[in-house]
Amino acid sequence: MPSDSHGSPSSVRSTRGKDEPVFHVRGLARIYGEDTAAVTALAGVDLDLFAGELIVLLGASGSGKSTLLNQLGGLDSPTHGTLLYRGENLADFDEKALTSFRRDAVGFVFQAYNLIPSLTARENVALITEICPAPMAPEDALALVGLSERMDHFPAQLSGGEQQRVAIARAIAKRPQVLLCDEPTGALDVRTGITVLEAIERINRDLGTLAVIITHNAILADMADRVFTLSDGRIVNIRENQLRAPVSSLAW
Amino acid sequence: MSLLDRKLFRDLKALKSQAIAVALVMACGLAMMIMTRSLILSLATTRDSYYERFRFAEVFARLKRAPNSVREELAAIPGVARVQISIAIQVTLDVPGLMEPAVGLINSLPERGEPVLNRLHVRAGRLPAGRTAVGELAVGEAFAAAHQLKPGATLSAVLNGTKQPFRVTGVVLSPEFVFEAPPGAALPDNKTYGVFWMPYKELATAFQLYGAFNSVAITLDPGASEGAVIAAINRILAPYGGRGAYGRVDHPSHRRVDDEIRVLQGLSVAFPLVFLGVAAFMTNSVMSRQIALQREQIAMLKACGFGNRQIGLHYFKFSLAIVVGGVALGAVGGVILGYRLVEMYHLFFRFPQLDFILDGRVLLTAASVSALAAFTGVAGAVHRAVRLPPAEAMRPEAPARYQPALVERLGISRWFSPSFRMALRNIQRRPVRSGLTCLALALATAILIVPNSFRDGITYVIDFQWDIVQRQTVTLSLVEPGPARAIADFRHMPGVVWAEPFRFVPIELKAGPITRRLLLQGLPERGTLSRVIDAYPQQFTLPPRGIIMSAKLASVLQLSTGDSVNARVLEGREREITIPIVGLAEDFAGIACYMEIHALNRLLLEGDCISGAHVVVDKARWPQFLAGVKETPRIAGCIIKDSLREGFRKTTAESIGLLQKIYMLFATIVAFGIIYNSARISLSERARELATLRVLGFSRGEVGAVLVGELVVLTLVALPAGLIIGSAFAKGILTAVNTETVRLPLVLTAENYAFAVLVVASASAVSAVFAARKLADIDLVSALKALD
Repeated sequence: MPSDSHGSPSSVRSTRGKDEPVFHVRGLARIYGEDTAAVTALAGVDLDLFAGELIVLLGASGSGKSTLLNQLGGLDSPTHGTLLYRGENLADFDEKALTSFRRDAVGFVFQAYNLIPSLTARENVALITEICPAPMAPEDALALVGLSERMDHFPAQLSGGEQQRVAIARAIAKRPQVLLCDEPTGALDVRTGITVLEAIERINRDLGTLAVIITHNAILADMADRVFTLSDGRIVNIRENQLRAPVSSLAW
Repeated sequence: MSLLDRKLFRDLKALKSQAIAVALVMACGLAMMIMTRSLILSLATTRDSYYERFRFAEVFARLKRAPNSVREELAAIPGVARVQISIAIQVTLDVPGLMEPAVGLINSLPERGEPVLNRLHVRAGRLPAGRTAVGELAVGEAFAAAHQLKPGATLSAVLNGTKQPFRVTGVVLSPEFVFEAPPGAALPDNKTYGVFWMPYKELATAFQLYGAFNSVAITLDPGASEGAVIAAINRILAPYGGRGAYGRVDHPSHRRVDDEIRVLQGLSVAFPLVFLGVAAFMTNSVMSRQIALQREQIAMLKACGFGNRQIGLHYFKFSLAIVVGGVALGAVGGVILGYRLVEMYHLFFRFPQLDFILDGRVLLTAASVSALAAFTGVAGAVHRAVRLPPAEAMRPEAPARYQPALVERLGISRWFSPSFRMALRNIQRRPVRSGLTCLALALATAILIVPNSFRDGITYVIDFQWDIVQRQTVTLSLVEPGPARAIADFRHMPGVVWAEPFRFVPIELKAGPITRRLLLQGLPERGTLSRVIDAYPQQFTLPPRGIIMSAKLASVLQLSTGDSVNARVLEGREREITIPIVGLAEDFAGIACYMEIHALNRLLLEGDCISGAHVVVDKARWPQFLAGVKETPRIAGCIIKDSLREGFRKTTAESIGLLQKIYMLFATIVAFGIIYNSARISLSERARELATLRVLGFSRGEVGAVLVGELVVLTLVALPAGLIIGSAFAKGILTAVNTETVRLPLVLTAENYAFAVLVVASASAVSAVFAARKLADIDLVSALKALD
């Protein structure tokens, strides 16, 4: 889809100025281990992420992008710094609050899909919709990713791209505020990867979900509103695309 | 220690809780096997050496009276090795501290030297001194223990109508009275029944039997025919009121020990083998998982040049460590429990020494069987692992394939939640594993049913016997049958509210080759105290003709209602009669047959006679009544229903209580072990799936539910199956030991079932919670990582 169909990047920026950010991150640091064995995975990250944005985090292996994603998803807590989700400090959340944050607000897409092998596509989605407050029907979520025809297949009967689209349907069926995707195309060939990215883009555009995609594939940067490049636990470059490139135009 | 062994050691440490769970289940099977087989060995060995050392006789006979010279005739029978003649007489006792009178069976000691057969073991004190000793007796250990009688204690006995004081010189044991109880009793009542020995002269003189005997014990030459000797004895003793000789098989004490061994045999095979099977299966599942987790290590080892044999041996050693642990625990447990049970047997059986003897062969067999089973279990997994080319083994295993569970195809699946479907499909994907898990839980449930069904059966029998059949307070028997008008004397005793007469006559029933000796009971036509009950259970009205016999007796004799039975009266004028069977009675204590009392007296051609009376006593005048009984020399026996009942209940509670505790321990360990192990393996296999669920917003509790869902389903299937299997086991064992002396009805109560379900369900639940606590260790971030 051409990016002008949903408004120009400048208009996105102007609305962004008034909105409260979904994530407000300042001086975020994550250090594993202690003393001499300490490894700094994040060394002070500042960023604000807004609703409706499509963000790409670029970086080499070990640059800290996965650590950042884990922090945003409430899977890990920071060593220093501030991480606010809609004004609330995630570091103050206890186990129960983090669970409901993940349950209600966050959709995860994994590189290895992580579907439950004993459940069909529809059931994998239904598993999540049953525990969420206002989900869409599993069938609708699967239709959004173009899988209406294969809803009753088990993961082992689906191709990699199809499995990943089931995973995306599972993530978006809860109508999340945030969609966090960790190398969603990492295990896929180009053509299949495109269909998966199209699904993510459509959700981001149609539902206004903040989507954050981790990748080491720089070509994906063109589809984003903003691109953060990480290295050694810091953001070393921020790029704003005036125009998001349609996913179909990407090639790697 | 080679480096592979060091790896083994560390791997074991990492898997220790699972290894312990498997070893414990294995230990349960072994402990049970070692305990029961060793008890069988202990009882049989002790019994045999006791019999041999103290010359327990092989053939026994009672008679009215015969001169001592008849002994030579008996000794001359071909095949007879040794003959011991003596007097044995039942008397009433007055024991200090016991309100009610007790019954004593007094046996005579030979005038010179030790008894030739059935010798006595003196536990404390000494035997009465010489042939001239007067007023001395030795007492059987069980009765002595029940009354704390020590050498020097005194008691009174009524000898032929005269109450005489006696001093206890010693406490003794006899191979004839290993089970010290009245003939036919299933449980001992050592408060009111005891066995005594006193010099021949004093006893014989008191009963005008000097120079005569009324009891014979005989041993046979090797290879002699017992049947032929018994026939010869019967011929010789017939003129002297012989009551029929019998072999050891029919000896009440011997028979009771045999029955006990048979119960143990029933318990010693099925359960232990199944537990060992379950343990082998658990070893297999732990090892399969371990090998699956170590695929890459195996590939690396092979790539580095380790041979299949070395790698296979490495994993065999792993399971060997578990087997060694299980065998050690099982042996220790079996010995400890065996010692406890041996102590329990002291309640029933009196041996000079009953020691626990460890059956070493069983230990060895059980250990080899466990090792073999564990190895077989591991072999498949090891074979699969070493067969893979290293390059392929380096890659992760292909994802599991699933399909909708069978039950879902019934069209009811739309009501199933996704987590429930996951559980069903996981069960169906591994049918053998699920089946065996289920079977193990079912058996844990089943073993709980058995001891409680025994307990409930005994309670039922006690209640049936003493609430429905016998409603008297006390049964009083006369020294000699007396005239029917004696019933009036009973009715006039202090405190007696009502009395009904009975007439007991020893008879021998004969149907083809089968003979049985028992008391034919004459009772009032439709008595209110001792009643004859049919299967429905309604009271019989005793007809003017014919007998009613225990259903069990009829089946032993292969007769039924309408048939006639040949009987020989073994008292007074001996005669052969043929009586029609007019009904079958439902009873559980021994075997019996009943007739209307006048019909019986007519049959005996004796006029109106009674042997005693069943009486109801006013509780308020109880002491006066007992004093009256003790002062009435004509009364030979006094059985107080409530004290018999209380004694039964206590003995039952003690023995079944211990058995129940042991089985509960086993059931808990098995349920706990199998659930814990299954949950841990599930957790290991599905770590990624469960971490994903956590990341997707499932709470720890919800993920825990997904983890144990499968086990909950299996437990729910296993519980009812276990109740069915347990009931069948109980039925099987009760049928196997359905003898003429010990037989219990199969009573299965809701409490029994509820208790079994409760124990297994709680053990499973606690175990699942334990395993699920490991969910806290799941690394959520790992779910995001790619598989390779």
